[in-house]
Amino acid sequence: MYTLLIDDDPITIFLTERLLKHEGLSDTAASFQDAAEALTFLLKQITVGLVPQVVLLDLNMPLVSGWDFLDLLKGHEIQLQGHCLVYLLTSSVAPSDRARAGTYPLVAGLLHKPLDKGKIQQIRDHILPTAAAGA
Amino acid sequence: MGRLTNRYPTKPMKTAAPVAATEIRFRSLFENTPELILYQNENSTILDANPAFLKLVEKPKDQVLNHQYDEFLPPEVRPLFKEKLAEAFTGRIVRFEMYASQGGSAPRHWDVVKVPLMEHGKVVGVHMVARDITEKTQSQDQILAQNKDLQQFTYIVSHNLRAPLANALGLVGLLGVEEADSPAFEHARTHLQVSLEQLDQVLQDMNTILAIRDKQGLAEPEDVPLAEIVLQVLQNLQDVVHECGGTVRVTIPDHFQVRGNRAYLYSSLFNLLSNSIKYRDAQRPLLVELTATGEEGQEKVITFADNGLGIDLAQAGADVFQLYKRFHPTHPGRGVGLYLVKTHVESMGGRIEVSSQVGEGTQFTITLP
Repeated sequence: MYTLLIDDDPITIFLTERLLKHEGLSDTAASFQDAAEALTFLLKQITVGLVPQVVLLDLNMPLVSGWDFLDLLKGHEIQLQGHCLVYLLTSSVAPSDRARAGTYPLVAGLLHKPLDKGKIQQIRDHILPTAAAGA
Repeated sequence: MGRLTNRYPTKPMKTAAPVAATEIRFRSLFENTPELILYQNENSTILDANPAFLKLVEKPKDQVLNHQYDEFLPPEVRPLFKEKLAEAFTGRIVRFEMYASQGGSAPRHWDVVKVPLMEHGKVVGVHMVARDITEKTQSQDQILAQNKDLQQFTYIVSHNLRAPLANALGLVGLLGVEEADSPAFEHARTHLQVSLEQLDQVLQDMNTILAIRDKQGLAEPEDVPLAEIVLQVLQNLQDVVHECGGTVRVTIPDHFQVRGNRAYLYSSLFNLLSNSIKYRDAQRPLLVELTATGEEGQEKVITFADNGLGIDLAQAGADVFQLYKRFHPTHPGRGVGLYLVKTHVESMGGRIEVSSQVGEGTQFTITLP
């Protein structure tokens, strides 16, 4: 599973990377603590046709937040739709976040931290039929 | 009109003595109550007005009686009064609130009751009693604003408690699957330690903030010689300023004093100067200029300007003073300093504003009463 992790917190990145590894899903993963750098990376991946299947995106980040990232990605939704699922991975429990998440077509779900086996399974269930259909 | 005037307040008296006593009691209430009492006819003509009303509109009785109430009301509330008076003339007691000036008075919040006076099953006039509820309304608004603040604060705190807690939970789970003594296991253990320390730190922040809020309004303000506080801050930071090749220029008039709290002033200026040092621009030597202005008995203005990295205010917007918000993620920091500065300044009854230009510097303006 080709995964892009975006979180300003290095501990969350470590935790997510290890969990993916234990689930045998860490074949390809890229991690960024800075959402602006992650965006540059993702746009480059679009041009070479190698978009990640899953983006795990933190919401509360300084300067470029998760929401900013999604807004900046708006022009590229068409190229990503159907190939790339964005999951918001957040420690926020504000109901308004879920409502806002629903307004972005790329967002497949909102997951509360910490990520665990069950949540990874949920993503996998979602991604595999998509991947099969794409193949 | 004259007819109605004559009808009020005379009524045939059945048993003279008790009615006279009642009359005295009600007359005393009418004359002495701080509430405004008017008696009006259907055309909104004032037929009687109590001293409280005359005092508010600063007019003698003969310039009030037989005048339209509209003359004392701003145009925007006249339709409301007309409607409510008409409603009272249908025989109903009408109650409503409004915010308006009356005569030449300053605008106030009023709780207004209109009570119809019935004679032979017909409404012959309407009494209006208006109570000034300005203080109550203002304190209500203040409580609402504070409540909103607290809600925001709770949300921020819960988020910042949840973040390290979620990590700790995840890491504990991970420790169960990582091979003991492997590098990953050791990493997870170290991260767990850090997460718990972060959790503890948030709770310590809460203690600091709540302690300031608790003292709000309790700490007696005193006249503080600003130069003395600035000197203390400079002494405590002089090594760091010197090390980075920085300069601090201070312009404070002789004997300049501000009304406030010594510890809060010290903490605010210490935080601001620490930020200037931390977020200085490597392209040029740090220059901080602190200036104080304001005459005796007037508001005092302290400006604190540096030539550092600056903050992108278009992006940061209202977040600059928000708890746990950070604007230079590559520099270490927790997003607490400016929140504390604002809390301190506000607890001294002051306010703080910021202007900034990325690559040029940041200027804070503190205004104290």
